[in-house]
Amino acid sequence: MKLQRKRLLSQIILFFSANLGYPGYPGLKTGFCYPFFYCQACPAATSACPLRSLEQSVDKGSFTWRLFLFPLLIIGFLGILTGRAVCAWACPIGLLQRGTGRVARKVKKTPLAKKLGAHKAEKYFRYTKYILLISLVFVTSYLIGFIFTDICPVGFLTGTIPVLLLNPGKFVPNFFFPFAFVIFVLFIILIFIIERGWCRYFCPVGALLGPFNKISFYHISVKTDRCKHCNVCSYNCPMGIDVPNMHRDPECILCGKCVNTCPEELITFEKTGWQ
Amino acid sequence: MKRFVAIQICALLLVSGALGGMVAFTPVYDEVRSGIVLVLCLSCLKLEPKTNAEFTFFTADNRTHAKFVLDNLSKGPVFLHYSGDACAGCDVMYPVIKDLFDVEFGKQDMFSTIATFESTPIPYIYVNIHHTTNELRDAQVIYDKDYVGGIPMFTVVTLGYDNGDVKPKYTTLYGTLTTYGCDTDAERLVFLQQLLHQSIEMYEQNKAGYQP
Repeated sequence: MKLQRKRLLSQIILFFSANLGYPGYPGLKTGFCYPFFYCQACPAATSACPLRSLEQSVDKGSFTWRLFLFPLLIIGFLGILTGRAVCAWACPIGLLQRGTGRVARKVKKTPLAKKLGAHKAEKYFRYTKYILLISLVFVTSYLIGFIFTDICPVGFLTGTIPVLLLNPGKFVPNFFFPFAFVIFVLFIILIFIIERGWCRYFCPVGALLGPFNKISFYHISVKTDRCKHCNVCSYNCPMGIDVPNMHRDPECILCGKCVNTCPEELITFEKTGWQ
Repeated sequence: MKRFVAIQICALLLVSGALGGMVAFTPVYDEVRSGIVLVLCLSCLKLEPKTNAEFTFFTADNRTHAKFVLDNLSKGPVFLHYSGDACAGCDVMYPVIKDLFDVEFGKQDMFSTIATFESTPIPYIYVNIHHTTNELRDAQVIYDKDYVGGIPMFTVVTLGYDNGDVKPKYTTLYGTLTTYGCDTDAERLVFLQQLLHQSIEMYEQNKAGYQP
């Protein structure tokens, strides 16, 4: 089976695995945290959002070490094994962005997108996800009790909307709803105009996983000494990475598109320590 | 290269050992399951449930009443307050309840007292679902009459007359009470005072016939 088909199959299976919690069908509600971005408010969710657990661990000046450590260890375990591959192979929001990627790739060909994509500020803009993680998940939760979850677009998509659809007339919007709705609309626009726009710039779970690329067993390796710098790999990279010059880049989600597209077959998956 | 592999293996062993140890020897799995997965923060969901404040005899799924509620019901109407960490709605309601009963406690405390309202003793039980016992946490589903499964949640258990028997009768409110027409703290306080007044009247009418 081709690599990208295997990845699609993995994403679909894990999407259904993440949604086995609907009461009675089969109602599997576990005490684990997802190692990716998904909302426990989804009526069918099987596990907890890792960000929610982290937010609760530092709620308003308190510190609950178990809720702090537990999601980090789950993410760390998978991160050490496979780096940020979870984003490409397991995350349901990654699957959604795979669906919108076709439109985003067309937008990418427009002159304005080319100009903005090549702008030197673009690589700094990727640090936004780390800033979001530190500021809205930890700092504001600790200091004033305002949490990322209150305005989370993924929570809006996978929690709020399904709850409203399954319980018509039972709920009304609260104070945070208008803000979350605006952010959700921007999120939808983003994933249609920039391929993997959420993963690149804003995903706090991606920010947690990214650094593990530096030490993960699985990683992408480029034989740079024989590379002709045709840049086909970089052009096809959904994360917009300069593939020939990357070495264990925290942005790499190990989707394998560069592996598939390299005409010289110089890019491969490596399994450090398992040979 | 060998050093790098050694670092990878050490990191993996450390993380997997710590994770396995946490699951095996701490209550974190149950804490996450019962406090985050099964009970939702309604303000995080960005929604408020539209429910009524009518009293009913029927618990959710006809479960039996919690023992600690029945034990306290002989003293007066029981007020259960379900709250949690990192929940904006809980933070809105927390000072309102403190004003209602003129009590002082920490948000993460396990707190219960016999409060007084209109000269009637009210057993008040505060449950932060992230810092409590299984018995108190599990009672939440018993009184979740509209199957909302979220916090903040408030239950008043009083007495009612039903076909010759005096039985526990209760109502449950959810969220920040905006769907009951309360947009300010003062309105929330007045609404809860009226609800307590009503529950005390029901209690006084029926307590003579109540057999715990």
